[in-house]
Amino acid sequence: MTDPVYIVGAARTTFGRFDGEDNDLAEEAVRGALADAGLTWNDIDFAVGGTNGETKPDNLVARLGLTGLPFVTVKNGCATGGVALMTARNGLLAEGAGIACVVGYDNHARGAFNASPARYGIGDWYGQTGMMVTTSYFALKIQRYLHEHGIDPRALGYAAEKAFEYASHHPYAWRRKPVSVDEAMDADMINDPLTRFMFCSPDAGAVSLILARGSRAFDLCEKPVRLASVALRGRRPGSFEVFSTWLSPGERTSPSIDAAAAAFADAGISPAEVQVAQLQDTESGAEIIHLAETGLVEHGAQMQGYLDGDYKVDGRLPVNTDGGLLANGEPVGASGLRQVHEVVRQLQGRADGQQVPGQPSIGFTHVYGAPGISACTVLTTEGE
Amino acid sequence: MTATVDDSLFASLDPVALKGSSCTACGATVFPALGSCPVCTGVDVEQVALPTEGTVWSWTTQNFEPKSPFRSDGFAPFSIGYVDLGPVIVEGWLVGRAEWSIGEPVRLVLTKAWTEGDTVVHTYAFEAAS
Ligand SMILES: [Zn+2]
Repeated sequence: MTDPVYIVGAARTTFGRFDGEDNDLAEEAVRGALADAGLTWNDIDFAVGGTNGETKPDNLVARLGLTGLPFVTVKNGCATGGVALMTARNGLLAEGAGIACVVGYDNHARGAFNASPARYGIGDWYGQTGMMVTTSYFALKIQRYLHEHGIDPRALGYAAEKAFEYASHHPYAWRRKPVSVDEAMDADMINDPLTRFMFCSPDAGAVSLILARGSRAFDLCEKPVRLASVALRGRRPGSFEVFSTWLSPGERTSPSIDAAAAAFADAGISPAEVQVAQLQDTESGAEIIHLAETGLVEHGAQMQGYLDGDYKVDGRLPVNTDGGLLANGEPVGASGLRQVHEVVRQLQGRADGQQVPGQPSIGFTHVYGAPGISACTVLTTEGE
Repeated sequence: MTATVDDSLFASLDPVALKGSSCTACGATVFPALGSCPVCTGVDVEQVALPTEGTVWSWTTQNFEPKSPFRSDGFAPFSIGYVDLGPVIVEGWLVGRAEWSIGEPVRLVLTKAWTEGDTVVHTYAFEAAS
């Protein structure tokens, strides 16, 4: 029986445009998380940093202190945060360390990510003919999904409306201006059926978490949040991933389905028990798909959930209570940790934005990204 | 001599057919042709000409000009889709109109991608079959 691992400190920066150095963001988050846990950098035994930018996370020690600790760097696209958290958890358990620090950050320039065919092992023709575009991938995926499951495309507008409503209450979100369902549906079409309000944009931000192993967590934190499980999975045949020149016919699979199932199984918790969730919503359609792929909602039942207000703060299953990616943007290295940060704060009853009522004790997070990877966590305030 | 965006995509140009690879162990077909099978991890594959008729599996419109390395003789919004050819679903342009329906029949054609001096460079696309 391995010791349980807890989150005992959490902090994030405001997301959005940022003019300073990437390391400024990362340092702000780490110092915030240390303060939240009542610790100093001297107390950290093991550190993990993730970014998709050019800086080296392990060189943060130049600012934080040369304590000699092992510092691992991860770079796994949109799943970077989840992988960083998993690496820290594994480090605590395998290295016999007591306290770990995780930090994820990025500071992206304006505009959509510019992908190079060669980096993905695809011929130049794919980019030259205008198919190597992330937004068209999302549109093709949700167009098929809505058709297969008979979902009203207005669900896309409801997802956007919900995100910006949550964000309007959240001090660290980027885009905080409410948008109505009609405004979202009637906005400029980017790739049919997705409009301008249904996409997140790359931006800047950092998040840091402090993890502690075993009973020590309860000395450090009034209400530690248990990392009940964290699971990472890659794609199998039948998944539909970005920059795919071909797809397998037949049964559809998804790394999100596999990672969520593994996380729930490992935690011994069923999706029906989740009281607050974070799902990868790179665009509105992703939230709709991931509601079902994670097992939280039946395929095809998503629209009724939006109509019934299920995913809002006083609903049955509050989702993306900080506004998600749609309102926070996507600093890739920080995004997955932002999700965990928000759920931790909800479970501790000190949400930065709207607090889910009724003292929720079971939370779930899900990241997903290129080239077909997903990381999920189950977080609880029960146990010990 | 017909110029194309990448000759390795084609099994033949007249009549036009795409070149994929098919795994001798599991039968999985992929496009463009690969030297191994990502479905069953096998390494014994053969190059095959893909069927030239299929149905629209999904579609969207590309309403903004893609960034580099996109090439054109002048950007205009276009449609792209995935077409179910039977053994494999292939991504490509949908030409002839803007709006499409999932399930409608289409067939493979060659179409102009861009012009290079006096040479028209072609790519593959799908057009409505009826
Ligand atoms: Zn095979």
